[in-house]
Parts: sequence; C-alpha cells; structure tokens
Amino acid sequence: MTGYLVRRAGQMALTLFLIVTLTFFLVQAQPGDYATFYALNPDIPAEVREQIKASFGLDKPLWQQYLVHMKNTFTGNFGVSFGHFPRPVMEVIGERLPRTVVLFLSATAVSFYVGFFLGKAIAWRRGGVLEYAATISGATLFTAFTPAFALMMIWIFAFKLGWLPIGKFLDPLIWRGAEVSANHIFSYMLLTAGAFVVFAFLALLATRKIGRFGTGRVPVLLIGLGAVAIPIAWAFTGVGYLALDILRHMILPIATLTLISFAGTMLLTRNSMLETMREDYVMAARAKGLPEKVVRDRHAARNALLPVITSLVYSLIFAIDGSVIIEGVFSWPGTGLTLLEAVRSEDLPLVMGAMVFIGLFSLLAHVIVDVLYVYLDPRIRYH
Amino acid sequence: MTTVDNQPVLRVVDLSLDYLTRQGPVQAVQSVSFELGRGQSLGLVGESGCGKTSIANCLMRLLPDNGQLTAGQVVLEGQDLLLLSDEEMRHFRWRRMAMVFQAAMNALDPVYRVGQQIVEAIEAHGVEETVADARERSARLFRMVGLDPQLMDRYPHEFSGGMRQRAVIAMALACDPAVIIADEPTTALDVIVQDRILRELKAVQQELRMGMIYISHDIGVVAEVTDRIGVMYAGRLVELGDTADVFRAPMHPYTAALMSSFPSISGEKHELETLPGEPPNLANPPAGCPFHPRCAYATEECRQEFPPQAQRGSQWAACWHPMDGADVVMDMQDKLDIIG
Repeated sequence: MTGYLVRRAGQMALTLFLIVTLTFFLVQAQPGDYATFYALNPDIPAEVREQIKASFGLDKPLWQQYLVHMKNTFTGNFGVSFGHFPRPVMEVIGERLPRTVVLFLSATAVSFYVGFFLGKAIAWRRGGVLEYAATISGATLFTAFTPAFALMMIWIFAFKLGWLPIGKFLDPLIWRGAEVSANHIFSYMLLTAGAFVVFAFLALLATRKIGRFGTGRVPVLLIGLGAVAIPIAWAFTGVGYLALDILRHMILPIATLTLISFAGTMLLTRNSMLETMREDYVMAARAKGLPEKVVRDRHAARNALLPVITSLVYSLIFAIDGSVIIEGVFSWPGTGLTLLEAVRSEDLPLVMGAMVFIGLFSLLAHVIVDVLYVYLDPRIRYH
Repeated sequence: MTTVDNQPVLRVVDLSLDYLTRQGPVQAVQSVSFELGRGQSLGLVGESGCGKTSIANCLMRLLPDNGQLTAGQVVLEGQDLLLLSDEEMRHFRWRRMAMVFQAAMNALDPVYRVGQQIVEAIEAHGVEETVADARERSARLFRMVGLDPQLMDRYPHEFSGGMRQRAVIAMALACDPAVIIADEPTTALDVIVQDRILRELKAVQQELRMGMIYISHDIGVVAEVTDRIGVMYAGRLVELGDTADVFRAPMHPYTAALMSSFPSISGEKHELETLPGEPPNLANPPAGCPFHPRCAYATEECRQEFPPQAQRGSQWAACWHPMDGADVVMDMQDKLDIIG
C-alpha cells in the first residue's frame, strides 16, 4: 500500500507538471496581457504601461516566462496577484479554496447520500410510486440548465419566501462590530466538522470493541448526542451567531447542487442494486433469516455501492468545475468566482494559480476514491 | 441405516407451486408429499427443471415474486410454515431449517470475512450472546467441516472451491437446525473433493442427528448419502422408497431409465443409456401420466389419467404398470432398447 501511494504520488507530480504547462500556454494563448487591460484607460500613458509590463516580467520572451513560472510553481511561489495587488496569489487562494472545497464537498456528500438512499429504496421496491416520482423529478432536475435553476431557487427561497440569504458568504450587517474575522470563524467551523467525523468514527470503533450483539443503536445514539452538543458548545463561545450566519449562506447553494445532481447517483445505484439483488449471497442472506433491512443494506446495497463509488470522483470534479457557475450565481467568494474575476481582469498569476489548485484537488479526489475503493472491496489490492 | 424417531421432523403434504408467466401458470410442483424423520436423509433426484430446487425454495419460503403456492402444508416440528407471517418465518429460517446452496460458490458475500458471515447468522437468531462466543462456535463448526479456524478471518475470494463449500456447510450448521437442505452442493467441485465433502456432510448430519434433504440430478451421489430416495418428474414425485430398495428394484420406468443412464462401478459393464425426448412443458403438461410420451410401457390408461400409487413395502410409485421385482434390472436393457 505504501509503495502504491509513493508511485501514485509520482504520477501525480507528473500530471501536475502537465497541468501547469498546459495552463501556462492556454493562458498565454489568449489575446492581450495584464497591461492591455490599462490600454483603454486614457489616463495611463503608454510609457507607464510599458513600465507595468516590465515590472511584471511581461516583456520577456515566452520561453523565459515559462521557465520562471515552472520554477516558481514547484517552489510554491505563485507570484503576486495583479488584481489583488500586492497580495500573493497563495494568500488569495488560501483564503478562498477552503470555502469552495467545503461547499462542494458538502454538496457532493449530501447529493451522494440522497442519491444512494433513493436508489437503493426504489430498486428494492420496484414499480412503486416513489420510483416514478424520484426518477422523473431526478431526471428533470439533472437536465435543468444550472444557472437558470439556481436563479429560480434564489427567487423562491430567498426573494419570495425570504427564508434564506440571497447570496454571498456572510451578511455584513450581522458581522458589523464582530471582533473576529470570517476566516477565523470558518476555520473553527472546519475544525469542529473534522472533530465530529473523528468522534463518529471512534464511536463506531468503540461499539465494535464491546463485542456484544444488538449494540447497533449505540453509535447512532452517540453520534446524535454529538450532533446536539456541537451547536450548544458553539452557543457558549459567543460567536455562534456568526457561524450560524455562514451556515445559513451555505444552505441554498448546497440544496441547489444536490437537487441538480442527485439523480446521477440515484440511477446508477438503482441499476447496480438490481444486479446485486439477484446475487446468490443476497438469497443466502435472506435464507439465513436476517431482517429484510439488513439484507438490503448490509448485503445488496453494500455490494451495489462498489461501482457507484467510482462515479464519486467524477461527481467531485464536476462539482469543482461547476463552481465557476454556481459561485457566480450565488456570489460565493470561492475559487470559482475568483477564477472568473481573474480571467476577466487578465490577472494571469491568479488564473494560473487557481487552475493549478483545481487540478490538484481533482488529482487528490482521485487518489482518495482509489484508496476508499480498496477499503470497500477486499478483492482489490494494489501492489 | 440411522435410527428414525416415530415423529417425522418435517412433513410435506400435497405441496403445489405455480410460477405465473406470460404464457400462463407453470405448474412447477404438483401435489408433492413426503415425510422426513429426525436424523434421516432423503434424496430428491430428477432431470433439470423437474422442480427439485422449487421444492427447496418452497420449504424455505424463498420464492421469486411470480411463485405462488396453490396448496399444501410444510410442517416443521409440528408447525405449518406456510401459515406463518413473513416475520415469524424469518425466525424459522436457518434456526430450524438451513440450506446449503446450489451455487455455494456464490453464497458467500465477497465483501465480508467468512467468519463474520457465520457470526451474522448466529447473531440474527440470538444463539449466542457475545461476539466472542459466536466466534468460538464458528471455530468449532470450521473444525467440524475440516477447515482451519484461522481461515475465519479470510475473505471468500481467498478460499478454493472446496473450502468455500465447507464454509457454506459450516454456515448452514451455525444455528443447530433440525433440517438441512442441500441443493446440489457439490456440483461445481471436482470428483475427489466432491466425494470427500459428501462423506463429511453425511457424517456431520448423522452426528448432529439432523434431517437432511439432498437434492441432485446425480443419482449415484444421492445413493451414497441418503436413506430414502424420491424421484421427481415434471413437478411430481413419481417414486419414493428406501434407497436400497429403489436401487435394487425400481418400480417406475423413469427411475429405471434414470439409473441406467449412470455408470455403476460394481455392476456389469454395459453401454450407458440416454433417455430420449424432453421433459414435458409444464405450462401445458400432457394428460394422464406426464411420463407417458417417453415411456415404453405406456398404454391407453396412461394417456388418460394420472396413475394411482402402487405400493410395495415402504416403497411406492405413481405408475399404472409398476415394474416388478428382480427381473426388472435384467429386463431393463431390452426395454430401453425399445425406447431408443
């Protein structure tokens, strides 16, 4: 396994090199540069423009720029953002990437869970009302035009009903006078989520260690308690209302993303489930006198999960790619929106930085799903 | 031969099953009745599609959606299983009647360790209280079927075919059932492994005094492990008797034909016979005795009416012209020549 991960890391480095190269030349292939952005501004004389060009190194030949760029990228120096001058690209991305990753990771997780849950339910009871309702609505939403659908969601839930904020990361009115920064609160929220996942895992592990039967409800109870304890703990910190504000801003984008994408997982799960339900080991599980729910979840659905999990990596990558659109519509200040703005203002270092990080995220998602697959299917071993 | 209690552990009365298809109902099992004593083993033989596996599925009440029980009783230890609700039936499965599957190779879930799958059955029926006890019990079962208990923590794909078969037998024994149904359990194995596992299965069955129903198309295998033998044709039980009696003197012409199509090691050398023709289409079975289109002895009454049971000691056959005594075997060669 370690050897495999090392080899995988090597492959990733190579892929990353290709991504950086491709990104560089793609960006160079577009007409104009950062200086031409000012060309239309009559207030800036031509000499100043040349000076800007020189100061950013844009007067050097292309191959020289490429080599410098490559060297900088692999030493972790992504340069200074033109648009957010003088902040370094790393700082801008460091601030925005977590927002994007958290939003789209949560959305993908929710969408995957909903899709898998519905998929196994409609396969188990074929021909029911649920099957028609879920398939028709899922397929309709799946094919909906994303920006239009997102706008419709905003119109209904934010504008007409007024339940949720219209967009953005936070509400400035609530944050006025707050003594901590949004990033500070957000990183603590991430920490809480991480701790909760670890806690849930430990609860499962500990229950198994007890070694008695009929303890299936214990971890559920523990995790439920944890879920209740978290908001209470946050309320005592005095900044809970700020975290709540960020959470409220996350609901609408996550709901929108879930609705447009759950059908993919659902239909895949359904088909996979119809296959595994015919397997002998499912019949054997039923013959063993296991409760129907156990036969469905622990045997049929558990095996049906294997091909579906492969699609998870695509869902993740599509979600991050789609962040340009979704973050645009919801004014969510993540990498997608940053990339869009950077492209518009010819902020080349930021464009390249954002694209490299999106590429890096895709590569990581791939490896994580591969490792997950080994864990889920004992027949697969990487050597 | 094993001693048999007076009270049968399993009694099947007049069992009938239809499969609903687009072409209409297919009568897969028709009026099948038999009894199984405690510690006794009964073989069910017949060609593919004669309803052997359907009977097994009826007994476990594991029928596909289009399967419909039209009549009958399955009385296990005094309880008619067909009257139970699904939830009540769930507690009978594996606890009182377990099964060794036809495709035992695939009866183990690939994503769980083999031992875990046995523990799971023990857990579902509350046979043991703790995981440790359940594992200990599984280890005992593993030893009983000739497997190293250390293999419990392996996955099914790490097992050979014979090991999987043993594991599946160990799994069937997990809850100490009163009856075990073995549905072609050794078909996928090579002959040597098959023979060894058969002997062990037989030994375990006698040691634990379980009733066993052994289903196979291979009459030679059935002869090896069973006390009584039932011959099935076109969804009906056409002959039933002590294995030795049936082999010495089959009463039904179909039984005789089935036996002569398998080689005998001890008997005289002769050409193997094949039975011409096909079993009838059960959606539209022939009138009278279903075997009459392939039978050399068929007369007018065979074509008209289903035959009554002809009795001879504890052996019976549903035939108008039951074959008689010792001359049958000598005679069989000529008769089969006529059929051919």
